[in-house]
Amino acid sequence: MKYLALTAAVLMAALPAQARPVSYPGGITAMITNDGDKNSVHIHYSPTAKTSIGYKGEYWRVQEFGINAVQMNNLLKRWNEKDSQANLYLKSGVGLAYSDYGDFDHEVDAVAFTGISADWEDRRRFISYENRYTEAGDIADFFMQSARVGWAPYEGDYGDLHTWLMLQVDHNPESDQNFTATPLVRLFKGVHLFEAGISTEGKAMLNYVIRY
Amino acid sequence: MKKLFVLTLSLITLSFPAFAAGQVVKVSVNGLVCDFCARALEKTFGKQEAVEDIGVDLDTKIVTVNLKEGQDMDDERIKELITDSGYNVEGITRE
Repeated sequence: MKYLALTAAVLMAALPAQARPVSYPGGITAMITNDGDKNSVHIHYSPTAKTSIGYKGEYWRVQEFGINAVQMNNLLKRWNEKDSQANLYLKSGVGLAYSDYGDFDHEVDAVAFTGISADWEDRRRFISYENRYTEAGDIADFFMQSARVGWAPYEGDYGDLHTWLMLQVDHNPESDQNFTATPLVRLFKGVHLFEAGISTEGKAMLNYVIRY
Repeated sequence: MKKLFVLTLSLITLSFPAFAAGQVVKVSVNGLVCDFCARALEKTFGKQEAVEDIGVDLDTKIVTVNLKEGQDMDDERIKELITDSGYNVEGITRE
């Protein structure tokens, strides 16, 4: 119970995102994420610094369903300070979901999802929160949220290898294990960002982002 | 006489880059916290005809814009480029 209360407090206190969903004008970003529940890819193009649009694909391994969608991300508000930056985003998508599971095998249905993400960071500290509600007819209907805190052991200059130690807490009410915590390491150099971690369930997290 | 000529020519040649260099504009920018931010500004300014190159110092939050010889870029244009990239300008100085 204490664990739940603590986790909930962290989720409530945190406001922000794992990797910024909007790039600079003309920027293209590819994100590949793999965790204990799903594999996903998100490739987007940013026509402006406030909007990006692209493809989102996901496969939930236990539930055996996937999503192919067009996703749009909007920067609702950015706070630029001398030594920090904070952002609030809306992320939404529509597309098709398909199932490989039991009676729903080969079923295809429309899917729509939306959620907010927010982040605050300076060069040594990071905190983020994001959520999403997904509706995919008979195939899936769920809410999920996650939060992160991070700390950089040193400040690197532009072009250096940047290292972050982070803790991600996921809350998936529909899953057998409602809460999972994942300590991870983020390595960030140039246009490449790589993350690796192991959850409290012993499942690996491997993420990669490239922005060009 | 020949030595003097060679010496003079050498000095002129060595000092040429100093005369040839364009304006240097230093911009204090809010919101620069990571390499992605720095890269965003590099990409944005790199597309400008008047810009030779830029440098981003994450410690001081100063963006140094080196303009090409004979080229100019006014403060309003610089502010516009940085704002459109998602950041805020605190101040601009020129050398």
